[in-house]
Amino acid sequence: MISLLNNLCGLLASAPHVPVEGGVGLHRKGSTFVTQHDMLFWFIFWLSVFFFVLLMGLSAYFIFKYRRRPGVPAQRSASHNTPLELTWSVVPLVILLGLFFWAFHVYMDMHMAPGDAEEINVTAQKWAWSWVYDNGAEAQETRRIADQDVPVFAVPADKPVRLIMHSTDVIHSLYVPDFRVKLDVFPMRYTTMWFEASKAGEEHYLFCAEYCGSGHSQMGAVIKVLEMNDYLQWKQDNTLDDALSPVELGGILYRTRGCNACHATDDRSGEGPGWAGIYGSERRFTDGSTTTADENYLRSQILDPSGRTLEGYRNVMPSYQGMPERELNALIAFIKSLSAKGREELDAVEEEIEAALEEAEEDENSQD
Amino acid sequence: MSASTHDDHHDVSYLHPKGGFFATVWDWMTTIDHKKIGVMYLFATLFAFFLGGVFALLVRMELFSPTKTIIDAVTEETVVTGQIFSPDTYNRLFTLHGAIMVFLFIIPAIPAAMGNFFLPLMLGAKDVAFPRLNLMSWYIYVTGAAFSLISILLGGVDTGWTFYTPYSIQGDEEHWRVVFMTTGVFILGFSSILTGMNFIVTVHKLRAPGMGWFDMPLFIWAIYATSIIQVLATPVLGVTVLLLTVERLFKVGIFDPALGGDPVLYQHFFWFYSHPAVYIMILPGMGIMSELIGVHARKKIFGYRAVAFSSLGIAAISFIVWGHHMFTAQGELASAIFSFLTFLVAIPSAIKVFNWVATLYKGSIALNTPMCYALGFLFTFSIGGLTGIFLGSLPTDLHLHDTYFIVAHFHYVMMGGTAIAFMGGLHHWWPKMFGKMYSERWALVGFALVFIGFNVTFFSQFLMGADGMPRRYATYVDEFMPFHRASTIGSWILALGFFVHLFVFVHSLIAGRKAPPNPWGGLTLEWTTDSPPIEHNFHHEPLVQHGPYDFDDVVPPHCDPADYPLPEPIESDSLKPGRTMH
Repeated sequence: MISLLNNLCGLLASAPHVPVEGGVGLHRKGSTFVTQHDMLFWFIFWLSVFFFVLLMGLSAYFIFKYRRRPGVPAQRSASHNTPLELTWSVVPLVILLGLFFWAFHVYMDMHMAPGDAEEINVTAQKWAWSWVYDNGAEAQETRRIADQDVPVFAVPADKPVRLIMHSTDVIHSLYVPDFRVKLDVFPMRYTTMWFEASKAGEEHYLFCAEYCGSGHSQMGAVIKVLEMNDYLQWKQDNTLDDALSPVELGGILYRTRGCNACHATDDRSGEGPGWAGIYGSERRFTDGSTTTADENYLRSQILDPSGRTLEGYRNVMPSYQGMPERELNALIAFIKSLSAKGREELDAVEEEIEAALEEAEEDENSQD
Repeated sequence: MSASTHDDHHDVSYLHPKGGFFATVWDWMTTIDHKKIGVMYLFATLFAFFLGGVFALLVRMELFSPTKTIIDAVTEETVVTGQIFSPDTYNRLFTLHGAIMVFLFIIPAIPAAMGNFFLPLMLGAKDVAFPRLNLMSWYIYVTGAAFSLISILLGGVDTGWTFYTPYSIQGDEEHWRVVFMTTGVFILGFSSILTGMNFIVTVHKLRAPGMGWFDMPLFIWAIYATSIIQVLATPVLGVTVLLLTVERLFKVGIFDPALGGDPVLYQHFFWFYSHPAVYIMILPGMGIMSELIGVHARKKIFGYRAVAFSSLGIAAISFIVWGHHMFTAQGELASAIFSFLTFLVAIPSAIKVFNWVATLYKGSIALNTPMCYALGFLFTFSIGGLTGIFLGSLPTDLHLHDTYFIVAHFHYVMMGGTAIAFMGGLHHWWPKMFGKMYSERWALVGFALVFIGFNVTFFSQFLMGADGMPRRYATYVDEFMPFHRASTIGSWILALGFFVHLFVFVHSLIAGRKAPPNPWGGLTLEWTTDSPPIEHNFHHEPLVQHGPYDFDDVVPPHCDPADYPLPEPIESDSLKPGRTMH
């Protein structure tokens, strides 16, 4: 109980969080939908306020005026009045029907993507978003929000963006409050949504809005809006360079493929084990068997994680079946680089490569 | 008139013990008396309410701070990070809160507890139409509840109370616990269906002589409409959770896309039941409202027929609006149609609210605990209903769907509506059920705490929901912290209020003053018999000679005319006469 109380007192010491500038909410007008949407929102708001105040005002007045007094009976009054009753049935009906058509109109606008939209492929998985741009670029920058490193995606300002979305496991939902857009993302099916960000230089939160398990509340992202030129440059900068070393590439994939949702790069356990020191260590499974973590072990755990479950963990990891060989090797190299044994091996390989390269260079030089 | 002086043993209070302790327990376990079954339902649902409430408090406690948890238990490390539960534990807590509150509390609370007790009494019947079936419904309820509790004791379920596929059919460890939970829901469905059938037949066949359809109290109309939904919609839920269970156990592809199924099909099935179920939850609350407003304002319910027919209208339309839970999941045309129908269903609810407010006009309004709850209902249910307009409208729903705005909206309807009406009804009928009065002053204190606590807890959720705070989040970005803190503090006030009520009721049972047969001056038939009622309800078969709300013309039974004076007889022709005795 005391620790609970301590908790309640010491809660302000919260984890690091880098908020987006301007926060999130109705005050942020991030997309071209906002004007229409908010006009409708506030109309309904004031309509509700009107009816609420009317009803509560009348009730309060009646409660006071006709409060019970000893010996004073209730007064006689009509117990129904057809014109009055018709009025308060028909008037709200007409208002609501009008609202329906207005809302439907706005909705259709929000649904029809213009033809010249910038298309981005979105993949959702437990518990990360990955966006692949038309030139193959993937966001490499991350930001810490809600105690999780999440990707920072770029979108162009003043240009429609169309997201083609699917999920690899369960239902997720892509939600950007500042844009007023949300759509569910399904496995084995594409859904598409579009928006047009209105102001370059702004940043916005992206949340997963459909419950998807342990990491649901950390399945976020930051969207940054760039001028078209900066956006094109960003796409260039974020294509994966063929010259990256496996470890460097693995470090990027660790963030862009969603590994970081469950695995730390130190030895802390999250939903899955931290990666530091894994390579070369002995792993124990729920069935009691053990194995030493080598490249084969890492490969099989990435491609077929439900085959064997580690003791102390749940069988929740999605399969990465279909991951390109280069990426698979890069991830394995990255995991190796996080343990002393793996580091040594990698260094040895690197030295060999460097030696070989030098040799080749010398050969080249000598040929010239 | 007092029961204890009567010779015939059927004329003693139904609470009169039958011999020793074990004999009494056996008597209760095997009773076919609708009142005892009602009381057993009351305590079972109150226990479920307590359990669901504890889970809710833990959920709110976790959300007091925004950050992530590293580990499960309360240990040194959690003190440092400011966390109490891991996301996994948190996910179980909100799932159990939802599942328990919906399936074990709100759905059965009013129909099964108060409906069982008062439906036959208000109709002037000796019991429901099928008393043994009624006892069976109770045991089915207990069995279903046991399955759910077992799944909790074995570690709980983390799917959310909606069991959405494919999430609910993946993951090996939760595999069999979800099966337990859905089996529990399947069994509970039968209890609901049988109770509904029983009530429908009772209303049709067992009304006292002289009671036509439009002489029935509006509570009966509401329970009748509810029963129709229960009988027609619940089988769909049964089939759905059965399919879910089959899919989980035998890997038959129905909802899981990996097996060739369709996850949206599950949502259609689920909401085809669960949307009408929303009205299973709220209609009985509306029925209680009509009783409370009528009796405590001493006024004939304005537009009786409109209120009665709006119950049936709600029941009918409730079957064709389920798609409004899926505006982010289904096609545009379907969304448009469901949006249109959703706007329509708002009208009958609005009519009821207008009628209740109009009933207050020229009444004699007593501000006792039941009436305060009724007026509290007008306040909270109006907010719940009006915020529904935001969600029926397509573009605003796209923004608000699956945020705290939804959470706040349905708590304003389910808790601010049904649970508040339930509390009002409980205070209204408590003296009749247990023959004891309660401390009016402390009950009012409880009401004030509940009302304030409720609004603090849930109004802040509207604000953060409109700003985009998604629901079912164990952690959140710091921007939402002030709202979450206010909400959590509100939940403590709310809990305190319910504890005050608990003590008031316990005190009433132990030391309450004996209740008169008709403490509020009600005109419906339950007030004509003793408090608590005798075993066979009435000393003589009642003959209905006036309407349920003819307060202008009838001195309430067992009441001193000086306490309940009648208005002057009508002189002017311009005033429409109320229904008079004949």
